[in-house]
Amino acid sequence: MDITSWQFLALIAVTLTVYILLPQKYRWTALLAASIVFYAAGGAAAMAYLLVTSVTTYFCARCIDALAAKRANLDAAEKKATRPAFDRKRHILVAAACLINFGMLFAVKYFDGVIALVTHGQGPALGLIVPVGISFYIFQSVGYVIDVSRGKARAERNYLKYLLFVSFFPQMVQGPIDRFGHLHPQLMEGRRPTADNARDGIQLMMWGFFKKLVIAGRAGTVVNAIYSDAGAYPGSAIAFAVLMYTIELYCDFSGGIDIVRGTAEIFGIDMAENFKRPFFATSLAEFWRRWHITLGAWMRDYVFYPLSLSRAFAAIGRFSRKHINGTVGRILPTSLATFIIYFIIGIWHGANLTYLAYGFYNGGIITLSIILAPFYGRVRKALRVNEESGLYRAFCVVRTFFVVFVGRYFVRAPWLKMSFVMLKRTVCDFYISALWPTVTGLGMTLSDLAVVLAGFAVILAFELIEERGVNIRESLAKRGFFVQWAAMVLPLLVILLLGVLGGGGGGEFIYGRI
Amino acid sequence: MEKLLEILKTVCPDVDFETETDLVEDGILTSLDIVMIVSELMASYDIRIDVDDLMPENFKSAETILELVKRAEEN
Repeated sequence: MDITSWQFLALIAVTLTVYILLPQKYRWTALLAASIVFYAAGGAAAMAYLLVTSVTTYFCARCIDALAAKRANLDAAEKKATRPAFDRKRHILVAAACLINFGMLFAVKYFDGVIALVTHGQGPALGLIVPVGISFYIFQSVGYVIDVSRGKARAERNYLKYLLFVSFFPQMVQGPIDRFGHLHPQLMEGRRPTADNARDGIQLMMWGFFKKLVIAGRAGTVVNAIYSDAGAYPGSAIAFAVLMYTIELYCDFSGGIDIVRGTAEIFGIDMAENFKRPFFATSLAEFWRRWHITLGAWMRDYVFYPLSLSRAFAAIGRFSRKHINGTVGRILPTSLATFIIYFIIGIWHGANLTYLAYGFYNGGIITLSIILAPFYGRVRKALRVNEESGLYRAFCVVRTFFVVFVGRYFVRAPWLKMSFVMLKRTVCDFYISALWPTVTGLGMTLSDLAVVLAGFAVILAFELIEERGVNIRESLAKRGFFVQWAAMVLPLLVILLLGVLGGGGGGEFIYGRI
Repeated sequence: MEKLLEILKTVCPDVDFETETDLVEDGILTSLDIVMIVSELMASYDIRIDVDDLMPENFKSAETILELVKRAEEN
């Protein structure tokens, strides 16, 4: 079910009515029923994958919890004595949950791509359809098992209550990847939603609809054609398409998340934030702390920390300190772990060499920037750069945008060679005069471009205000009745006129099949 | 404390560990900084810090980091 469809709005309305009418203790059942209806609309196969994940992670977490409960009544000496056996068993159970679920994800998402790559398209293919949101709910469920294993959460005893945590319907398209300790208590609480929840939720959803329907759809007009056959277009049109894709991706992904979080907010549920004004980041590392925050936090807590503190990395650290002098020797293991994380994030996006290159690109730049940080510090000092000045910050923001922009040459191209063709043509065959005829020839009108650029400028303007410490929603809530209604009606008119009726875009989300 | 402050200054020279009291929540320390600090502490004190100890409350200030080191030494 498309979250920009009328059916989705109807599902919210029906679920909300039932949710409010039910006694508080049973309200979660309304959310579970809506989640099953939402996901069942995707077909029986999609439901089967969801059941495998929910059942396996449920049992692994329950087993770990039972093992921990057995030790709870032991005295300190007995606890110490039984610790190695307990650790071994809980690690086996976590490994089992990971193997089953990431194995399933590999079969669905990567197997055909890897076989095609290795056999040059001659090998067998499973031909499995990637269910919507499978990466997101698998990451969320495996994170839950690890949290139980680390003692940060108690396992849920009621399978149906746990199934709601895994399948809560707004998050099933593209996340966010929430934590059990944050989301589950809110789902179970069943607090009666307030009028403020409804107002805030609807406003956030409309912001999302504006990004997705008005901007992303229009920006994507030229993207498909140019990325799939870049050799046929001048460099200026290619650079334009990459810029449009950069805008499309942000508006599509963050707009979808706004719709998801807004939906949850209507029910009085606060889901994890996934974006924090990424285009105001002053470095690529900071960009990744502001973009897809929940995936970054998942990678940090469940991969980066364990990897960095593993015995293997401790050995690498001892070796590098002994054989490489200075800062490089000291920070080499951390830099290596950072590189691996960005490499994994690249692969997470899909089974294609372009994503591997994307991982290398991000990991390489961030790793180099860690290693070269002391050198940059000396250069800034020698040039007497005032790091606190607005001008220097603006320079860093523009520099980061450029680095992100170049990365987009890799992430969207159909194959790796095409990314390099696009880069080469951008530099060597720019031909600015050929830009507009090419763009209009591909169906983008001047009014479409004006809507995209003006809409994106509005988004950046609002984000700039928030970047300066103003909470726009809180400020709006303090205003009078007329202003609050205007803030509802005006965006609605823009969405209806420029999105629903005016040739904007709806349909599938880019991250929906990741 | 002096030895710890010296180590912390080596890893993050721009951070004022003597006065800051909420290094993680205020966004002063990133996950990268935390891992580099922990790696440095493990090498300098010859201790083992577990991944379960990488909680924001253990890295709020120099005092909480010192407590973490003491706990690791006792273990």
